[in-house]
Amino acid sequence: MNSIDEVLLRFTSDWRNPVGIAALALVLFVAILYWEQTRFMLKSLRRNVLRSVLTGMATFILVLVITLVWSILAFLDRQTAAKSENLKAIITEKYQLPSQMPISYATSLAEGAPRNAGDYRVNPAKDSMLWAFYGGTLDPNKKTRENIIFFFAMEPSKIISYDNRTKKYSSMMDDIDQATDEEKRLLNDACREMEKYPYKVLVGPTRLAQMNKRVGERFKVTSLNYKEIDLEFEILGEIPGGRYELSAAMNYQYLQDAIESYNKGKSKDKQHAMTERTLALMWVRVPDMDAFERVAQQISSSPEYTTPAVKCDTASSGIASFLDAYKDLLFGMRWLLVPAILVTMSLVIANAISISVRERRVEMAVLKVLGFSPNQILSLVLGEALLIGCTSGLISGWLTYFLINDLVGGLALPIAFFGKFFISDAAPWWGLSIGAATALAGSVLPAWSARSVKVSEVFSKVA
Amino acid sequence: MSLAPIVRVENVCKSFRRGSEQIDVLMNLSLDVPEGEFLALMGPSGSGKTTLLNLIAGLDRPTSGVIRVGPETISDMSEARLARWRTRNVGFVFQFYNLLPVLTAYENVELPLLLLPMSKAMRKQQVTTALDLVGLSNRMNHRPGQLSGGQQQRVGIARAIVTDPTLIVADEPTGDLDTRSAHEILDLMVELKNSLNKTILMVTHDPKAASRAERILHLEKGQLVSETVPGAPALDSRITSEPTA
Repeated sequence: MNSIDEVLLRFTSDWRNPVGIAALALVLFVAILYWEQTRFMLKSLRRNVLRSVLTGMATFILVLVITLVWSILAFLDRQTAAKSENLKAIITEKYQLPSQMPISYATSLAEGAPRNAGDYRVNPAKDSMLWAFYGGTLDPNKKTRENIIFFFAMEPSKIISYDNRTKKYSSMMDDIDQATDEEKRLLNDACREMEKYPYKVLVGPTRLAQMNKRVGERFKVTSLNYKEIDLEFEILGEIPGGRYELSAAMNYQYLQDAIESYNKGKSKDKQHAMTERTLALMWVRVPDMDAFERVAQQISSSPEYTTPAVKCDTASSGIASFLDAYKDLLFGMRWLLVPAILVTMSLVIANAISISVRERRVEMAVLKVLGFSPNQILSLVLGEALLIGCTSGLISGWLTYFLINDLVGGLALPIAFFGKFFISDAAPWWGLSIGAATALAGSVLPAWSARSVKVSEVFSKVA
Repeated sequence: MSLAPIVRVENVCKSFRRGSEQIDVLMNLSLDVPEGEFLALMGPSGSGKTTLLNLIAGLDRPTSGVIRVGPETISDMSEARLARWRTRNVGFVFQFYNLLPVLTAYENVELPLLLLPMSKAMRKQQVTTALDLVGLSNRMNHRPGQLSGGQQQRVGIARAIVTDPTLIVADEPTGDLDTRSAHEILDLMVELKNSLNKTILMVTHDPKAASRAERILHLEKGQLVSETVPGAPALDSRITSEPTA
């Protein structure tokens, strides 16, 4: 990642961003330093309170929409941004999506496929995780969005486990480290329970509500991707919300046992079609890019993985290829919707400030008569626009953060396997920057027109 | 006049373009105004009196000719420099007061002082003094909409004198006032001239208002055509529309 990307990503994620803090400090400093002028601008805005409020409201709403869109894009950008250390390798089938590899691949892939002394060896107990996907419906006669459930089948110890030596929780799953200690403790207890009773499962809070089920209830799933492998589950608890809102997690062993049970006593050609195709992907955690490249080389050169062939990507490029299906939508959001909103905001501000300047031509001329220079008049008009833009942008960014994250509990927009999106901590800075930039863009022409007011033309009554 | 002129207008021409047509508003006009004089400019509409006032106040630049106010040749100044010069040297009184409606009387008077390097305490002192002079210290927190026409014009005069300018220019200062208020404003201007020795240039259509000045210049078609001293016969020989150089 180059330094510009790093700055941009930081600006899109962190409220402690030095650029944002410096910008706000600068705005406040200038406003206080030129307090009399600021006061004059505030009074001028009070001249037509309704127009000022409506302009502010328009900025407010448009900043809100941009903040929502940017939050989604910034999150996806972070997911697809290449990391240089502590990165995950995703191993999937090379030529087919969804990937369906034999579970016999799992053991060697979990170690990074070392074959020779000196090959890079992954610690399978700590740094690898297998994934299978099991989906089905609670009502095979009437499939609805609400009664279809989709499980990540995995080893519970990889969801979370507690290391007695380091006294720390560790997880292979993203964002689990952001849960509170209490949530981690409860999740750890639940995972141990899942190991003991493989039919017990964890379900995301939103999915649970959609299914109209409660913790402790049992239900039967008629499988959609494992035909005739219908499983009964008991809801053990909820997965911490956020990105797992709509997901559910089950013990892979339960699926494996069910397939083995189905195959028992059957000849090879009568065995379940998915028997050798349960492994969807493997995650392997490596410390740096060098280790990743070694593991990728070991896997691609191994004769073990030929039918089917496999490939090894970084998690970011894996997610990026998964998001390929949404490429057009994301492109439209980034390059059409956002610019269109920014242009609309600038036009709204330009319209309001133009009307204001047109109405106040005599006042601009009076100010010139009193000794205000053309540039001071220009600054006054730009300042009024900036006051509206910055204030409504900052408030909008902050309120969007508060409303979506704290009040609504996230923006439910299922894109790929991300169920909910949260507004970035940096949203107030986005609001401030967007408000300031569009206010400036929208008020430059009206301000220039105010600067160019000819006193003699305004006051002279030359025949 | 025995006093040195504070305003010297030399061979000034001013023309405007309207499409392909050139309109000559002032033609080779020359004029001296001594320091401390109260001068009235009269003439029919379109005679160029407001244009002349604007040129002397540094609000516009002549097409040709030279205008000096005090030691400065203002006809050569850039727009930004003229703006700075106006702040310190010219107080302008408008026909329609042109007070900023969102500001109080105090804030309107204070406005030109914001452009000068001055402490808040200093500003307050000068604004209070100016409002005292025009007899409106008890109305300083009123907005223009809460004041009568006469009172608004007084605030306009306070705003014009607050920077202690060299020159006060007034464009029909009584044109929008009833007879009584107009009389009071003219009294005030005479008082300012007498007590503060201000040079005042006033454009007016009203002979009664002009009669309060010390000298009246009559313009027609961009030229000075006559000069009168109230109460005395016309002194045509004292003015010229020809180049003085």
